[in-house]
Amino acid sequence: MTSLRTPLGWVLRGMAVLGFVYLLGPLLVIVAASFSDTGYLAFPPQGFSLRWYQAALADQRYLNGFFVSLRLGLMVAALSLVIGTAAAVALTRFAFPGSTLLEALFLSPLVLPALVLAVALTLFFAANPIAPPGMTRLVISHLLVGVPMVLRVMLPVLRRVDPAIEEAARNLGASPIKAFFLVTLPVLRPGLIAAAALAFIFSFDEVEMALFLGSVRDAPLTVVLYGAAQMQMDPTVAAVSSMLILLALLLMVAQQMYANR
Amino acid sequence: MNGDLNARRGLIAAGLLAPAALIFATLFIWPQLGLFLQSLGGPPTFSRFLGDSYYLGVLGNSLMLGVCVTLVTLVLGFPLAFLLARAETRWAGLLLLLTTFPLWVSAVVRSFAWMVLFFRSGVASRLLQGTGLVPPDFQLIGTFTGVVIALAQVLLPIMIVTLYAVIRGVDRDLEHAAMNLGASPAVAMWLVTLRLARGGVLAGSLLVFSLSVSAFATPSLIGGARAHFMAVTIYEQTLELLDWPFAAAIAAILLVISLSVALTYGKLLGEKNR
Repeated sequence: MTSLRTPLGWVLRGMAVLGFVYLLGPLLVIVAASFSDTGYLAFPPQGFSLRWYQAALADQRYLNGFFVSLRLGLMVAALSLVIGTAAAVALTRFAFPGSTLLEALFLSPLVLPALVLAVALTLFFAANPIAPPGMTRLVISHLLVGVPMVLRVMLPVLRRVDPAIEEAARNLGASPIKAFFLVTLPVLRPGLIAAAALAFIFSFDEVEMALFLGSVRDAPLTVVLYGAAQMQMDPTVAAVSSMLILLALLLMVAQQMYANR
Repeated sequence: MNGDLNARRGLIAAGLLAPAALIFATLFIWPQLGLFLQSLGGPPTFSRFLGDSYYLGVLGNSLMLGVCVTLVTLVLGFPLAFLLARAETRWAGLLLLLTTFPLWVSAVVRSFAWMVLFFRSGVASRLLQGTGLVPPDFQLIGTFTGVVIALAQVLLPIMIVTLYAVIRGVDRDLEHAAMNLGASPAVAMWLVTLRLARGGVLAGSLLVFSLSVSAFATPSLIGGARAHFMAVTIYEQTLELLDWPFAAAIAAILLVISLSVALTYGKLLGEKNR
């Protein structure tokens, strides 16, 4: 690191430290504030108390919201994984005219603002009520981003897998379906886990489509938090936020440990 | 026989693609076309938007927000990405992981963290009140500056990840060669690293710009009732004022902005690969 022992190196380092504080500081602030023994949001916290956590866990809206988000995230992850991987297999293993165009179309929701998708879907469902408001609408709407996320992970993974190993299994007498499940699928497993995690996190954290397409009864946690944060500076929101930060940390660590195994 | 096999393969491919194709046809292509049709039908919505100084101001605000957030994330993101890409310790992996951690947390939660700092008796607002440059009851909530600070933090990991990937690809030997030929480290970084990484700088900037212009949660929570930004206006028109043709028109304008940015981005990547 010779070049970093110069004045420029120190300027860069100083700015990098500043960047880190800026990036992670607010998350620490919220965790610290959630333990404050005051009736209002205080940072630096005064005293130490778990009462805002008690309040959060006793509040039916947050509890209900958490389970709605959990159900939503799991369903979107599972469906995106199946639909996205099937499409990725078709796009990489079968040459057909227009496949590049179809791939570009399938990936395009990733570059469009979530809010534009949400408005278009709101107008669409108003004119064509093909799904009841609430959970069903939210799941199928989230698939519009979940499937491209799975595709973006699985397309390069599938292109790297050598089709020869599948052929070898076939030559040894396995049917095409058996060869796929016994040979190709285990190779794809890390990619599949990463893709499912991405789709889950997207759906669990998403707020725009949830605000537009969810119902009051099936309000995901992000929507409940968005409403609560708008109303007042309530320490309960800080407690719920801290629990979500902890959950994200656990998920990230789990994913890392799995990926490095 | 061969024809049979081809037909069977075609059938399998169609079966694998069918669920995704069905979802995209009904929930993507149809609604997006509907959005344009809805905005064109009925009263003249586009001329209402483009002829009203209030709405032009909203568009200007969003574009300005995009420029400011892009600049802040570039200035803070480049040193971080550069050091992470060039670090040789085993901590580098952990530090990179930490920079991407905020992406696992909902933008609502991350914006709320800034609300804690920004409200009237929050630390950041009190610091500013202490300088005497702002009135004693000043708060960063509801200000453009506040939205820039919060949104830049929300989008910073995306800039860092994009820059990191490109800087990793720049050969370190070229930096060393420049210094061996007498360039100072600063000049070497300017002439070699930044030049070679400019594709990544541009790509990251376009990505962050596009996301800032269309951002909703952060501008809405930090900007409060006076958040005159595109996405917030669309939200109000759709869910509060129920003026759907007008909401569709504003969404279509936002869509065109995002698509032109995405096409520029794709073209840049295409040129780089050639």
